[in-house]
Amino acid sequence: MKALGIDIGSLTTKVVIMDDDGTLSLNVTPSGDEPESSARAALKGALGQIELNLDHDLYLVSTGMGSKSVSFTHQQKAITTCLARGVYYLFPSARMAIDIGAESCNVIKVNERGRINDWVNHDKCAAGTGVFLQQMAKIMQMPLEDMSRLSLNAHSVPDITSTCAVFAESEVISHVHRDPPTPKEDIVAGIYSSVVSRIMTLCKRTGIEKDVAVVGGVALNSVLVNILENELGFKVLVPDTPQIAAALGAAIIARETIEKGLGT
Amino acid sequence: MINAEEKKDKIDSLVRACGVLLRMNKARPDGRKSERMYYEMLANYYTRLQSARDEGKFIAAHTVFFPTEILYAMDIVPMHTETTTWMISLFTGECADLLSAGADLGLAPEICTPHRGLAGAFAIGALPRPDVMLWSNLICDNTAKSGELLMEVNHCPGFFLDHPFQHSEDEKKYLVGELDSMIRFLEEQSGHKMDWDRLAEIVGLIDRQIELFREICELRKAVPSPFHTQGFLELLTIDYLFPGQPEAINYLETLRAELAEKVSSGQGAVSNERFRLMSFFIPPMYLMGFLERISQEYGAVSVTEPFFTYWGEGRLDPSRPLESVAEKSYMIPEMRMYGPLDDRALKSIVSCAEQYKVDGAIYYADVGCRHSCATVKLFKDTLNKIDVPMLTLDCDVVDPTITSEEEMREKLEQFFELLEDR
Repeated sequence: MKALGIDIGSLTTKVVIMDDDGTLSLNVTPSGDEPESSARAALKGALGQIELNLDHDLYLVSTGMGSKSVSFTHQQKAITTCLARGVYYLFPSARMAIDIGAESCNVIKVNERGRINDWVNHDKCAAGTGVFLQQMAKIMQMPLEDMSRLSLNAHSVPDITSTCAVFAESEVISHVHRDPPTPKEDIVAGIYSSVVSRIMTLCKRTGIEKDVAVVGGVALNSVLVNILENELGFKVLVPDTPQIAAALGAAIIARETIEKGLGT
Repeated sequence: MINAEEKKDKIDSLVRACGVLLRMNKARPDGRKSERMYYEMLANYYTRLQSARDEGKFIAAHTVFFPTEILYAMDIVPMHTETTTWMISLFTGECADLLSAGADLGLAPEICTPHRGLAGAFAIGALPRPDVMLWSNLICDNTAKSGELLMEVNHCPGFFLDHPFQHSEDEKKYLVGELDSMIRFLEEQSGHKMDWDRLAEIVGLIDRQIELFREICELRKAVPSPFHTQGFLELLTIDYLFPGQPEAINYLETLRAELAEKVSSGQGAVSNERFRLMSFFIPPMYLMGFLERISQEYGAVSVTEPFFTYWGEGRLDPSRPLESVAEKSYMIPEMRMYGPLDDRALKSIVSCAEQYKVDGAIYYADVGCRHSCATVKLFKDTLNKIDVPMLTLDCDVVDPTITSEEEMREKLEQFFELLEDR
């Protein structure tokens, strides 16, 4: 029996397949309008990589905002539980995980057994998440990748203080249109800095504890991770594919369930 | 069909809602007798208030933790303002118009919603106009400040009861003086004389009432715990609305007997108790049904509320009624939160966690309540030291726009998973 973990997020669906020896396959696909069909497509992709299909003997644990809409899952778990397991598997020394996803940011304290001790999340507003950065890239009229590169040339970092994504957008627009306009590289550095300051607020609420792992799609943005490291004052751990941490955790839970003989 | 005028009268809505709940309880084969008594008491409280004006009775609106026993002893009809707003939200779900009316008065969204709703309710005539407004600084700054506005909105006189922070002999004497001044004020305004014998009798009953609260809390220590998760709100309401009233004693004795029977037969409030919880502050009233359902679904039950149901030590002396009223105000569980937070508050959290075998705590962080939100971190750190995790739920006690059922469910499910995983 294969252990499958699926994390159905608002922008992407992530799948991890495991067996006793470790990870066999992983797949990241865009989430569609229908979580059920997105899940099926993502699973087929991951299973296809190891020449399996949905008819094989599988045990599936789902997580993420779309997980409740998936009818064929065997178990649903909270994103925080899965993140803790996934991060602990990747970095056993991590005692804190910062997950920056498309629409939410979670900060989790992980204990020495890979279980959650505490968590806080930022879910009232998109400021401080991936969608916010996408929106800012649109306003700056440049791809997200260019925005990151450009920020490295910043001479000063303007404050973007609004805690609301919409008001932050107004602040950015006012920088673009002021006379003379704030240099673009400075504005984008200000945008990243504002995202990091929101993440830091969450970190301080739980208490910062080393080692810190950063996961979620936004962890692929090395500029943002560097700013975060400067704020924390130490290096953080970032896995190669940070966006799959929760799906990996779900797969680990699926594997544990199989091992306990409860998956049949 | 309810016409617009009827809809505006929130007391009428409350009385009718109590009637419906009473009928529902009677229709259930397992309907709790004490619950029936509770709804009857509430219906009577609001019916008395509803008819007070026509019967020429004197109405005193008062804020939370006010010594209502003095009003009962003077034959004055009390109207507990914050509880009435909660009840409107809980039983009728009709708070939006009150909050909107509060906003029309210029009250900012950051102001505590029960107070904002109250001001709105009086302004649009949704609550009976009181003859006097009574308020104190016990226990929060919203309470201390809103009395003046409520006097203005109601065009009525008022009295501010200045409650000292500390429990020294000098301060107790000062408080007795304040109570005495208030009685003189009420005598002048209402023409009713204080019936000292009646006050002594009421104080004796309050002493009994507090003993019953303590006995009920003792029963809740049982594993599984016998009282349902939101039951503590009944205990709170009894203390707020019916101090020293014979019907309150009957209710508490009935409840105690019911819980004792459940404990002796090993029957819990939930069919499969998995998580024993400590609760801080007031859950959103409009989500009570949901909170009871999720409690059953996950076997999660609130077993202790250190600042609501965990009464301090001490007895009241009916031969010294006014001193006893002052003394009681220092015994109420919330007093540990009053003024500068000292060791008492944190010690009671740790003590309750241990005595009640708590697995986790839920902190209902009412966004408009600076008083409660200021202690989130302190309480969480205190509990973390004894390895009890705490979930903070940002919410509002009556305003459904702050948090939804779905959001609440997601966070609670995550928390239950955290507890299970440990």
